[in-house]
Amino acid sequence: MGDKSTPLLAVLQLLRKYDLKGTEEILRKEANLGDAEYENLDLPEVELASILTAHHTESDPYSYEFAYDSLKKFVENSLDIYKYELSTFLYPVFVHMYLILILYDHNEHAKKFMEKFGPEQEDYYQEDLKRLAVVENKDQIKGNELAEVYNTNKFQVQLSRDASTQLKRYLHEQKSSPVIINIINNHIQIDIHDGPGRTQAQVKATVGGLLGEASRNDNRSKVFYGLLKEPDIQVLPAPIEDEDEADETPDKPKKKKAKKDNIFMKKPKSDPNAPPNDRIPLPELKETDKIEKGKALREASKRVQLGPDSLPSICFYTLLNSGQTAVCADICDDSTLLAVGFNNSSIKVWTLTTVRLRGMKSAEKLQDIDREAGDVLVRMMEEKDRDTCRTLFGHSGPVYKVAFDPFKTMLLSCSEDSTVRLWSLQCWTCLVVYRGHVWPVWDVRWSPYGYYFASGGHDHTARLWATDHHQPLRIFAGHHSDVDCIQFHPNSNYIATGSSDRTVRLWDCLTGTQVRIMTGHKSTPFALAFSACGRWLASGAGNGEIVVWDMSTGLPTATLPPMHSAPVHALAFSRDGTILSSGALDSTIKLWDFSLISDESSSEESGMTNVTQKEEKFLLRSFATKNSPIKNLHFTRRNLLLAVGSYEGSS
Amino acid sequence: MLKCFGLSQSPAVDVDLFNSFISYGVLQKIKKMSDADLAYSSSFTVDSMKVIAESVGIGSLGDDAAKELADDVTYRLKVIVQDAMKFMHHSKRQKLSITDIDHALKVKNIEAQYGFIQPDSLPFRFASGGGRELHFIEEKEIDLSEILSAPPPKIPLDVSLRAHWLSVDGVQPTVPENPPPLSKESQKLESVDPITKLSKPATKDAVGKPVCGKAARLKASESVHVKQLATHELSVEQQLYYKEITEACVGSDEGRRAEALQSLACDPGLHEMLPRMCTFISEGVKVNVVQNNLALLIYLMRMVKAILDNQSLYLEKYLHEMIPSVSTCIVSRQLCVRPEVDNHWALRDFAARLMAQICKTFNTSTNNLQTRVTRLFAKALQCPSQTNNESGPSMVASMKESEKTPLASLYGAVQGLAELGPEVVKVFILPRVRWLGERVEGALSGIGGADRLAAGNLKHQLLKVLAPVVRQLRQPPDLPDDYKREYGYLGPSLQQMVSKQRTSPTGGSGGGAVAVVACTPPLLPAPAPAAAPAAHAKAVESVASRNVVITASPTPQSPAPSTPPPQKFVIVASQQKPQQTQPASGAGHIVVHTSQPTIVRSQNVQSMVVTSGPAGAQQPQKMVVVGVHPSHQGLQASSSVTGVSQAPVSVLAKSVFARSGSGPQPQPPPELDDLSHLA
Repeated sequence: MGDKSTPLLAVLQLLRKYDLKGTEEILRKEANLGDAEYENLDLPEVELASILTAHHTESDPYSYEFAYDSLKKFVENSLDIYKYELSTFLYPVFVHMYLILILYDHNEHAKKFMEKFGPEQEDYYQEDLKRLAVVENKDQIKGNELAEVYNTNKFQVQLSRDASTQLKRYLHEQKSSPVIINIINNHIQIDIHDGPGRTQAQVKATVGGLLGEASRNDNRSKVFYGLLKEPDIQVLPAPIEDEDEADETPDKPKKKKAKKDNIFMKKPKSDPNAPPNDRIPLPELKETDKIEKGKALREASKRVQLGPDSLPSICFYTLLNSGQTAVCADICDDSTLLAVGFNNSSIKVWTLTTVRLRGMKSAEKLQDIDREAGDVLVRMMEEKDRDTCRTLFGHSGPVYKVAFDPFKTMLLSCSEDSTVRLWSLQCWTCLVVYRGHVWPVWDVRWSPYGYYFASGGHDHTARLWATDHHQPLRIFAGHHSDVDCIQFHPNSNYIATGSSDRTVRLWDCLTGTQVRIMTGHKSTPFALAFSACGRWLASGAGNGEIVVWDMSTGLPTATLPPMHSAPVHALAFSRDGTILSSGALDSTIKLWDFSLISDESSSEESGMTNVTQKEEKFLLRSFATKNSPIKNLHFTRRNLLLAVGSYEGSS
Repeated sequence: MLKCFGLSQSPAVDVDLFNSFISYGVLQKIKKMSDADLAYSSSFTVDSMKVIAESVGIGSLGDDAAKELADDVTYRLKVIVQDAMKFMHHSKRQKLSITDIDHALKVKNIEAQYGFIQPDSLPFRFASGGGRELHFIEEKEIDLSEILSAPPPKIPLDVSLRAHWLSVDGVQPTVPENPPPLSKESQKLESVDPITKLSKPATKDAVGKPVCGKAARLKASESVHVKQLATHELSVEQQLYYKEITEACVGSDEGRRAEALQSLACDPGLHEMLPRMCTFISEGVKVNVVQNNLALLIYLMRMVKAILDNQSLYLEKYLHEMIPSVSTCIVSRQLCVRPEVDNHWALRDFAARLMAQICKTFNTSTNNLQTRVTRLFAKALQCPSQTNNESGPSMVASMKESEKTPLASLYGAVQGLAELGPEVVKVFILPRVRWLGERVEGALSGIGGADRLAAGNLKHQLLKVLAPVVRQLRQPPDLPDDYKREYGYLGPSLQQMVSKQRTSPTGGSGGGAVAVVACTPPLLPAPAPAAAPAAHAKAVESVASRNVVITASPTPQSPAPSTPPPQKFVIVASQQKPQQTQPASGAGHIVVHTSQPTIVRSQNVQSMVVTSGPAGAQQPQKMVVVGVHPSHQGLQASSSVTGVSQAPVSVLAKSVFARSGSGPQPQPPPELDDLSHLA
């Protein structure tokens, strides 16, 4: 393509885009362009914009500085009710001005522009600005992930109707300098809502995403956040309870009966927010799984009620001699097993009780076993094994997450080698290697009902898998950066993901669509946890802040203050949903009063976000360890908090 | 990926060059990222490009090429480091490591940089010259054969799991696995400025947050759980702990003692009991020095050692109690009942080492601890003439031959100085060696058995301490005459020692103090020597069983039986003992078992010190009267002194020292080694 014809081609492409056939025809004839060139009209968006705008005053680098300054003044001088909404404009305008300056080879000016206005951008954008400032010339824009994201996506800004009128008036006055108008037209999506302008706190609660705020339309669809009915509950616990009662003193069972009834009273009352049980097919429970469920229920009836006045006891498992090699940890649902993934690709499983880790007998020996025998499950295990710790080898890179299935027969792990592996905890071997992710897999989680699992990784996607399929069932694409953490909703119908683009999204497993996009994090979320009731989602971020989201609206319910001084990597709700515990790399565990958080938000039930400013009252207690960053938190069925950390030496 | 590398000649060089960039640049970047400053642009200079190019064999890199390279390399490296940060976060670390860089390279489809594994960050060295400034990493040459012949490195310990309670019902137990409830810094802060404690919670909570009513409520609820540092009341558990620990530390069960000392050395939550512990030690030392109870003194010093070893305690506030106790155990003139037999030298050595440890740990420019301690020991070594000049008139009056600084104290002072290092030995001991030699000579040729032993020990110690210093000071021709002239009596022996050390290459290369430490026997109380004939010991009981020994025993080896044997009586009295009718004023009742005339004076105190015997006798008889708690009735003289061994009561025994207010006494009690004569 000759230099001369490139602008013409660009114009032609634009005409085609807007479907102006007549003009296009005439121009083509006049320019004498061959068909071949015409057919190949496929200039990238960036280039197109750059060519088309080249004939404006954009070539004058000084006008940018002036225009930005003027916009800033306009925002500062506008009324308070518009000010905070309008101020969200400054950052995207700034970013695109910088990119355009570089696009037009004004590299020095771009640098100066960055140095002059960069530091006055919001704190939470500084990390992005550092990454963006790396781009210093035109060639680098193309390969750069962040610059691409900005160029190919529109930045979302929410404005009230009045504020947008103000903005329009201002832009109208600035006709001589079309820079800002161009940027707004090309790169910014304005979402206008009726009603008064939002306050500073309201704006602050939802800004911070890589591409601005979530638009209101994104969160319109209904989410069934209620829990599934448990059909098997009625059938099973009765015999087990009886056996339990036999052991108890005569006056106690009565109490228990009442308690048990309570549990059942709640369940049959159908929750309007619960999805139908057959919305997604769930696996049939096996006989052993039912026993496990019954056990869980029995344990749950002995649960300690927690609250601000009755805090949980914390048992801390310290990994000694691990140095910096231990990466992740998980404790199985009944709190009998602990798995730790290491830097050196290995996985270790410890038993936390006196029950030893036994392997299955060899195939020849298994043949001799009478399959009809009642204790067949016991008989098939090797009796000689007395290990308290077993190691699993197979990965070829750091293991970033391990996860026990709900029935503790299998273990999932994901690694830097871009695979997810399924391990058997009976044979102690790898069963399946799930390939599909292209790059490192950061997180993997089981569905609470088993069978399904979800993973998210560096390739910006999250995937839903079933254990018997080697290919993912769903691929959830939409995040603009790595999917850093993932979590199944308790009803198994939804998956929440947290990403480096500082959004948390909720995906529907059935349709594969995105049903919630939640902005407001000021840093990358690294940990997600659903409350026991399924309505709330807590996410912990790299700057130590924790945000609680309401699944019914997709809005932040509370932003807990960044009491942690390091990334939060572990979150856990107590089984009764009254306490939220968080663990961070600053070696502390904090307990938050979650009943207070949820009470407050439901009492102020209204359409607007009710951001609680006095968050200090939510913090109940903080426990420090001796330099053992927290890897995992887990509430046992009786509400004892278990924590895992690796001791990193005294210093 | 680096298209600018088209500039260099061959692809092989490209790779080399890139490797260098990675290894140089990445580390530099790591440093920059950690600064967390707001600098958006930091980049490689053209000069560094040229230097790196030179290092891989490209001699003449053009300015333009270097500029292009610098820009591009800066960009690539920044992108790689940004990616590497992701791997760091997901490895749940806060420090970037080289493996993170490797993984980031892998994601970018670039081969990882092998061979740069380094556990810690490499220090950047700086060099300038020829108008160029260079930052570089020092690369050491490694001898392969050395590595091959070296024994294989230790296998790292396997990862293991350990569980403990981080919280029980919302309260963090103070177990060693948990961090101390109050950090050393806050202990220090509170001891220096107690007011901060009142204002601290407010400032802590208000960091970056407006204080509101609800926050204040939280504070109120939280402050309930904040343990007060300076509580004056101990909880029942703490009282029990205190009782258990102190009893075990001075008790007879060695196993329990070891456990107790271990607890003292490791427990993070001791600071509340620290004042009481320190008082226990200092009072215990005072009482037991008077009683010459070597075993107990040793136990108390081991307690001091354990407390010093506890990392979570802020001890500065209690040094005024610790240091006198420790120094008493170093220089006291008598620490045991039978100086001729008991190994009180080990106690002095041990205490001297403790003192050195205290000096090393707590010396600051404001408290001048080491200077003061050194001065204290140095004064003990003063020649009589000097002492006269410096001390008060009372000391002049008492400067008789028998009142001179005893040899044992000299030994202690020498040992104390020696532990402080060779420089101290040079300045403070060496100039006095002539006078010390005279003392040793006098004692060795004298008649007292104990003195002879002490002089022998002192001489031995002096030689050991001085030899390495003298070896450093003097040039090789070691002539006995020179030494004799310079160092007096000790000269010849010193010369022998020095020349012996010179010939053996390994011996004595370090400071003298080190050698001393190594040869000190383990500090356990020496049991009563089996060789001592029962005839001499009237009621010998094991020292270790902390019974008071009532004995009047000359040493079996004593060469001069004509001198009156030193007799020692320890009388234990109880206040309410009607059946004993020893004439005494006040309420104190005293039992005296002696065949010799005895003056007993008892004021209305629970205890007193009595000296008896003919005036001018060389070995005055000593009697110590210790009052015990009234509840201990009907004690026999030979029964154990519970008042000393048991913690709560020992404090009552304090009045042993009430000498100043307790009326006139015939002579100042010779046993009171409170170092007032030294200071």
